[in-house]
Amino acid sequence: MNTFGIYVHVPFCGSICAYCHFARTAVHDGALRTSYVDGVLREFALRRERCPNLGAPSRPLATAYLGGGTPSQLEAPLMERLLDGTVGQCARTDDFELTAEANPETFAADLARSWRAAGINRVSLGVQSLDEAVLRQLGRACDPETARRALALACTMFPRVSADWIIGPGVGKAALLAELDEAVACGVEHISMYILEIHAGTAMAARVRDGAVKLQPDGQVARLYLAAIERLAAHGLPQYEVANFARPGAESRHNRGYWRRRPWLGLGPGAHGAWGRCRRANHDQVGAWLGDLDQGRLPEAAVDTLTVGARRLERVVLALRTREGVPLDWLPAGALDLVRGQAEGLWRLSDGRLRLSGAGFLRIDTIEEALARRL
Amino acid sequence: MAFDREKARNFCIIAHIDHGKSTLADRLLEYTGTLTGKAMQEQVLDSMDLERERGITIKSHPVRMDYRDPSGQAYVLNLIDTPGHVDFHYEVSRSLAACEGALLVVDAVQGVQAQTINNLYLAVEHDLAIIPVINKIDLDAARVDYVTEQFIDLIGCDPSEIVKVSAKSGVGIDELLKAIIDRVPPPKGDPEAPAQALIFDSMFDAYVGAVAYVRMFTGTIAKGQKIRVFSNERQFEVGDIGWFRLARISQKSLTAGEVGYIATGAKDVRHVRVGDTITLAETPCAAPWPGYAEAKPMVFSGLYPTENDQYNDLLDALQKLQLNDASLTWEKETSAALGFGFRCGFLGLLHLEIVQERLEREYNLSLIATLPNVEYEVLLRDGTVQLCENPAMLPDPKVIAEIREPIVRASVITPKEFVGAVIQISLERRGVQTKMEYLDVERVNLEFDLPLNELVVDYYDKLKSVTRGYASLDYEYLRHRADDLVRLDLKINGEDVDALTCIVHKDNAYSWGLKLCQKLKELIPRQMFAVAIQAAVGTRVLARTTVQPFRKNVTAKCYGGDISRKRKLLEKQKEGKKRMKQVGSVEIPQEAFLAVLKVER
Repeated sequence: MNTFGIYVHVPFCGSICAYCHFARTAVHDGALRTSYVDGVLREFALRRERCPNLGAPSRPLATAYLGGGTPSQLEAPLMERLLDGTVGQCARTDDFELTAEANPETFAADLARSWRAAGINRVSLGVQSLDEAVLRQLGRACDPETARRALALACTMFPRVSADWIIGPGVGKAALLAELDEAVACGVEHISMYILEIHAGTAMAARVRDGAVKLQPDGQVARLYLAAIERLAAHGLPQYEVANFARPGAESRHNRGYWRRRPWLGLGPGAHGAWGRCRRANHDQVGAWLGDLDQGRLPEAAVDTLTVGARRLERVVLALRTREGVPLDWLPAGALDLVRGQAEGLWRLSDGRLRLSGAGFLRIDTIEEALARRL
Repeated sequence: MAFDREKARNFCIIAHIDHGKSTLADRLLEYTGTLTGKAMQEQVLDSMDLERERGITIKSHPVRMDYRDPSGQAYVLNLIDTPGHVDFHYEVSRSLAACEGALLVVDAVQGVQAQTINNLYLAVEHDLAIIPVINKIDLDAARVDYVTEQFIDLIGCDPSEIVKVSAKSGVGIDELLKAIIDRVPPPKGDPEAPAQALIFDSMFDAYVGAVAYVRMFTGTIAKGQKIRVFSNERQFEVGDIGWFRLARISQKSLTAGEVGYIATGAKDVRHVRVGDTITLAETPCAAPWPGYAEAKPMVFSGLYPTENDQYNDLLDALQKLQLNDASLTWEKETSAALGFGFRCGFLGLLHLEIVQERLEREYNLSLIATLPNVEYEVLLRDGTVQLCENPAMLPDPKVIAEIREPIVRASVITPKEFVGAVIQISLERRGVQTKMEYLDVERVNLEFDLPLNELVVDYYDKLKSVTRGYASLDYEYLRHRADDLVRLDLKINGEDVDALTCIVHKDNAYSWGLKLCQKLKELIPRQMFAVAIQAAVGTRVLARTTVQPFRKNVTAKCYGGDISRKRKLLEKQKEGKKRMKQVGSVEIPQEAFLAVLKVER
């Protein structure tokens, strides 16, 4: 069955994390949040005008994802309106997955109740760490106790809970593994484990440049990553993508849609969408995004029509990120030394597919480059 | 007006690079009224862009000036420009052969340089009248007395014979013109005798074919006549004949004593090579002008397009360059590492650089040039001798009796405080010192017999760096000499990279191999797998290093908009990778192929 997804970007934050490079603002009030929700509804309506079968029974909505930013910054009534006006307008699959991201410090019982009532059935908590010093260095407005309370609350209130963790400066192996043990024990069935990336223009980039933050050597990061893979697998959460781990069946269906090149609609400032042969990017700034909508225009900053070559490249590099791997006949001839890679433990070859190991995932960018060169 | 030999003066300028030869030539054009100030383009004689940029002359371009001296007497002055670099030794000698006099120009600040001396010897050999000229006398740092002393030591002249000028400001130019008229003898030669014209340069013109620049020694050649080129006996009809201002000026004929051009209609400049003699087909002269030799390439390098699909463009560009450059040679070559390319022969390193730069700039090609090397004579056990100009093509050591390499006589002039350093770098490069003489209290002339291969690798750069740029170098081929040479192969992940193969002295093979491996390790980026680099002589591995693979090269997040970012990055990287060559499964950046040049001894 042809299905699709919706991603809604909520650009508001209580404070700005040192490493974040997404579209977000810490300067907002009730009025702006209201205009924002109006804007999302208008954008949805506009897009539906252009594409009437969006949400028609023949093409039901399978997943929706509220990301940010910090969706938990939206007041309950606004969240309800937003969901009613978008997700609520579409035919949905029976196993419809509706995820929202939340920061532990804004995730309280009444918010959780309102989210459940609005149909959110999966919550993704930005925990990152349970170490005070690490959280401080990342510029997170959260302390370990708050994070633990939020985790417990989420696991009680929601059928499906995911938590984000980070491998960054100050993270030690024993502490990281103990934190993962704790999260799993609490009932978390999905973990996203990100190796910290330094993006130009962030506070973290400046601190690294000044020497205030010292990044770990690559070898140490690699050891932490491999240790986390092993520990989570031991807990019954095997890796299913470069940064994602889940109990079988608890994988993020929405995110899997990205890696399988399923179509999705992107709504909100900075949101991206993919439909047909195009990838579309909205304006990052709330003002520019609203401005276009006020003029009755789609708030798009860029629309890329993918060539056959670009689609082939995407297909390969996205599949490569997943546990299912890449069918061997998608690989350009001669791009990879298949035998050597298997011998050195970067990948396994079976059932006509190439599947990266943890060690392979650690070098995936290099592997992608080699593939791209021959595609 | 008929040509009056008694009133003609044929001369050239000998100067080291930057000593002001081109500026002086411009000034002579201006003072003789050949060019008026406004119309004057700086350094008009150097016509190629590259020459102007580098401030050196590659292609000589004669010019005829009509000059009326202060008494009102009219003269014809022919200035024959000479190439100003060691690579073009033979060309310089042919230009000198076309003259009766030479201006020996020395910079008042820098004094006499190696090249000045060598070209002076050449001029003396050709029995030219030498006019010593000190240039740049208006500079604050000018040391006129010091250079005067140098001249007296060098040519035994009287101080009063030295003309002091500033080509830049025009001071002393009138005196110089007077000296040229008084001291350069007029040309001799019987205009009725069989024609004998020396080719001292040639160029290719798309409309009229190969054009020979000639000095008429005897006889007369007229437009429409049948001419014969001595060495190859080819015959052509004179399509056009005449002499030069800034462009060619057609005349009916050229006669003994004149300098000018003959448009031959030949399709290739190689039919009218520098040094050859042109005569009339029906009444030829008995013998050619002595000293003809084909300019032989001394330095070789493989030129490969970075992108294989540019191969035909490179072929086309080389063919076009060769039309105008008889000393450039090339033949097709295949490298396992680099694909299809050309083994090119050059007169020297500068010639190589110029050709490479013109290919990249004028023909918009992206090239990989392999390490410059020389031509070896390989004596095989069966007694035959093979020439080898590509180290990778050296025969199996088992069949080799000996390998002979070209040795040059290198002359270095350096301030005395650098003598130790110059000797050291020369000995490190297997040089044998043959001479050391003080030119004056400050300057020393050193001579070494040096393997040319050592010279082309990095000698000149090293010389400049240990003498802080003060030393000057000239060199001349002596002979081929046998030595204990071995072929050093570089292997990457066990595969021979033929483009990195070099021939080295046996005693240096180990340290050379080790340093080369280390340098390659720095230049080859981390990759998916470990890259093993080995240096080997035959089957014996002398050194090895490893480029460790990436420990971590991973984009952690790849959702929504990350996917487009990722794809665009990969597409961009793919473009960047075009500058890399794939050897087996290893990507090697272009500069790695010149790694040997960067190895410290």
